[in-house]
Amino acid sequence: MREIRCCALDAATLPLQDNTSLLETQSTEATKFFNEKKYAEAEALALQVLDLAPNQRTALRVMFEIRKAQNKHEAATVLGTRLAGLPGLPGLRAQANTQFAQYLVGQGRHVDALPIAAAALKATPKDATVQHVMGVVLTETGAVLEGETHYRRALKLLGREDGLVVANLAWNLKLQGRLEEAAGLYEKALAQRADNKRGVGGQAQVEFGRGKRGKAVAVLDAALVQWGEDRTLRLLRAMADLAMHQPQAALDRLTPTEALLAPEILARAQAFEQLGQLPEAVSAWSNARRMQRERSGLVYRPEPLQARATAYKAYFTADRVQVLPRAKPGAFTPVFLLGFARSGSAVLEQLLGQLPGFAIGDEFAPIGELAGAVPRLVGTQAPYPEALDELLVGENQELPGRLRALYEGKREKLGLLRPGVRFITDRALSNFWHIGLIKLLYPEAPIIHVLRHPYDLMLANMAQDRKFEGNAQAGLPALANYYGIHADMIRHFRGQLTLRYLPVRYENLVAEPAKILREVLDFIGAEGAVPPGIGANNEIVPDPLPAHFAGREAVHGKAAYKHREFLGVMPHLFDEVKDALAPLIDELGYAEGDVA
Amino acid sequence: MSEQVKAPTAQPGKQVIPLSEALEKLSKLEQDNKLVEADDLAGRMLAAMPEHPHILHLAGIVSYRNRRIAEAIERMERSQVIAPEVALYPRNMCEVYRGAGRLEDAVRAGRRAIELAPKDARAYFNLALILYEKLDLEESVRVAEQAIELEPNYPEAHFEKAEALLLAGRMKEGWESYEWRFKLKQAEGMLPKTDKPQWDGQPLPPGRLLIIGDQGFGDCIQFGRLIPWAALLCPQPIVACSGELTPILRQIPGVGKFVTKWEDTGEYDAYIPLSGLPRLAGIGTENVPPAGYLAPPDALVEEWRQKLDLLCPKGKKRIALVWAGRPTHKNDKKRTLKLKQFAPLFAREDICIVTVQKGEQISQAGAYYGRAPLINLGPEIGDFIDTMAILKNVHHLVTIDTSVAHVAGAIGAPASLVLPKAPDWRWLLDREDTPWYPSIKLFRQQTAYDWSGVIERVAAEL
Repeated sequence: MREIRCCALDAATLPLQDNTSLLETQSTEATKFFNEKKYAEAEALALQVLDLAPNQRTALRVMFEIRKAQNKHEAATVLGTRLAGLPGLPGLRAQANTQFAQYLVGQGRHVDALPIAAAALKATPKDATVQHVMGVVLTETGAVLEGETHYRRALKLLGREDGLVVANLAWNLKLQGRLEEAAGLYEKALAQRADNKRGVGGQAQVEFGRGKRGKAVAVLDAALVQWGEDRTLRLLRAMADLAMHQPQAALDRLTPTEALLAPEILARAQAFEQLGQLPEAVSAWSNARRMQRERSGLVYRPEPLQARATAYKAYFTADRVQVLPRAKPGAFTPVFLLGFARSGSAVLEQLLGQLPGFAIGDEFAPIGELAGAVPRLVGTQAPYPEALDELLVGENQELPGRLRALYEGKREKLGLLRPGVRFITDRALSNFWHIGLIKLLYPEAPIIHVLRHPYDLMLANMAQDRKFEGNAQAGLPALANYYGIHADMIRHFRGQLTLRYLPVRYENLVAEPAKILREVLDFIGAEGAVPPGIGANNEIVPDPLPAHFAGREAVHGKAAYKHREFLGVMPHLFDEVKDALAPLIDELGYAEGDVA
Repeated sequence: MSEQVKAPTAQPGKQVIPLSEALEKLSKLEQDNKLVEADDLAGRMLAAMPEHPHILHLAGIVSYRNRRIAEAIERMERSQVIAPEVALYPRNMCEVYRGAGRLEDAVRAGRRAIELAPKDARAYFNLALILYEKLDLEESVRVAEQAIELEPNYPEAHFEKAEALLLAGRMKEGWESYEWRFKLKQAEGMLPKTDKPQWDGQPLPPGRLLIIGDQGFGDCIQFGRLIPWAALLCPQPIVACSGELTPILRQIPGVGKFVTKWEDTGEYDAYIPLSGLPRLAGIGTENVPPAGYLAPPDALVEEWRQKLDLLCPKGKKRIALVWAGRPTHKNDKKRTLKLKQFAPLFAREDICIVTVQKGEQISQAGAYYGRAPLINLGPEIGDFIDTMAILKNVHHLVTIDTSVAHVAGAIGAPASLVLPKAPDWRWLLDREDTPWYPSIKLFRQQTAYDWSGVIERVAAEL
């Protein structure tokens, strides 16, 4: 298409939308060609129409479908955007936006899909498909509670339990940790749509999370008989092998005879580590990361993180925070579990979750979500955290209380405010950015920081298929840099704010879980005895259950100072991050050897 | 032909300026605290003329100001070797050696400066400073007096003499010389511009005496105890002090009114700085009015008790801690430590550290991972009344020589005060107690500028 009709299009020169119907005959002909798989003819005719009227809906639709089929995603996005923005009757607008949103969802671009799905929803709120798409988009962008609402609306509008929607709702509930409900829904969904491979995978994960590992394995094995080529299901099965400490089975399943994908190679890395084949493990995760960088263009982008760190550090200073209003005590005491990924905060959360009076908040509805809402709530153009200055003015002084109510409301929806619960953990990884906001919302909430030797953190994360902000998983130097930002923020907040802060070392926690747990309980003011067998870590814990419960096992110290074994066979393993991590290792007190 | 060097802004080899101008410029940059530019110019001048003694000397001073002490000494020693007869060089070296903690070298340089310039009062003054640091107080007084003899109107020398006399416990003589403090450069603006006389200790009608909260917070808290004595002679005095001090001094009985601006003082017949009261009252080491003259409000003590109960793990002794002073204080380098230097305290599992540190140095708490839990309380402290209330809720305070020590002493809170080898005069010598504050125990450096062993002793006695 000519540029003037495409990228350089002047919207003012467009014909009126109604007048484009004069070209409908030709457009319909193009659609016919497309349906008959005569793509060249379809494209030629559609382009002719669009040259005359770049906003001709049917021709645009034809081109959108052609570019999608050609995997020309940039062009498809431009066409989809134009289609979605066309004026017209609500039904037409909803259809265009829904199709475009579904396309973006298919691309994994859920954040981009959010405004498109919202536009569709506003056009036809009583359309079940639109509600369903909105549910998918919200669920995949982390707004699981809101996603659930839209799934349920879709089901209500449908008036029947559609297998796909029910399976998606089940996955949403799984993400909320509501595993019992999710398991029931998967049963229903798969009874209707047994061909839903993703649903089967979801069901297996739910059953594994519930501790029904045998059932999960049976579901996966049966599925693999049916869909032997499905790599997602096969990887899930291999991950089950690893969780059950059957590394050889995982390796046998993921043989390098074929071109493995990065997540599969990372699973092999974990298997090698379990087998004690440390050089092979390092080689595997190094290859996987290199593959992600070289083939998928994975690049660590620390600049936005550093800019954010600079802005937060400039704002959250002792003098500035001291004058900001704070919320009064809330309905419960949150216990913030701080720690880098794989630091062992999950183990601590699992142990706390077994005690009366505790509920597990994990990463559900993190406090960081509220940060983005602050400018809107106080009515300022200033970004967060500068927007917090508005708290000094008039009724905005009540904002910390309102934010806290929002936070608590989500916890209530998650079912965490059960009778008898006094403490709810919050283990969101993003909390290290938001200690300043935590201070305003819960000035005296305990913050337990789980420390672990930085080299162990590097090793534990490199073999995990986990995405970090800024793509910090791209390689060892990237991860070390991100860890440095994490440490820097915590150091800053601790240096500028009075916090009810207790550091706990992973190495001590796994060596003496009952003793350390007692210290933690004393610190947060929780009475009650610690059961002597707490380290078995096998008490039944009610829903919501976070994902890390799937890997729950008796507390052990096998992973403490694991890096020493690696260094024993690969003395130069950390050479490229040694300088970056040495000051942090020293600061944390690990430089002298074992920390008691 | 005069010597020339490349101009700092010129392209290499293109433009030159006379050496004298370059030296003048370097000296000016250093005096104007433009240390980065000075460093750059010094580097280029040295590159052009590496053996020029005055360039070396000035470059050394610039290094010293940029805290590169070893480089400063190396450069300045070379200048002395090249030009051993220039009195200025050992005179300045004296101070640089002092900054490096090399007191014997400093004395040698000081004496050499006097030898080369026996009529230079500044050279005597520099040596008197070093002798104070070495606790050779009699000699310090004698050398300061030589400076004064050469230049009778030399406030710094008088003040140095006062400090040496007071530290030696020769209070009466010391207070007299101490009066020179208002002629020091840094004392400008401390006193009102007035034609009224300084109070001579004679009775005045009610409300006609202006008492000025001069000097630092610590001094005001220390000497505030003498306000009731002044009020006996001149009832209801006016007290002029900073807003931060007002809530503290308000607790002291007998004051007519407090003002924080000179224009609010109203009429008065005479004025007296708080630090002038000990001289008039004839205070020596044996007749210091008792401490316990300040106390935080009960409600505030209760409020902080609740906060600390929440913040501190149960069953541990709460130890308040201050490790750094105001960086602009002339002796801050001597008295301030790094938080991590208190490691012997941090190794104890039976205590909880409650830092009552204020100012920029609180950021050090962010990097603390010692065994004892640490609560960085400074960010929540609004004023000294808060500090008092907190100190009522801890077992003990460990502090450097800063205002919090005075707060603790004034309320009778138990405290351990770590002091440099040559401390401020008020802590006297060779004693573990202080007549000013019975609740404070003093822990002195054994060797100048060396804190090793000091914190261990403090920790052992907690």
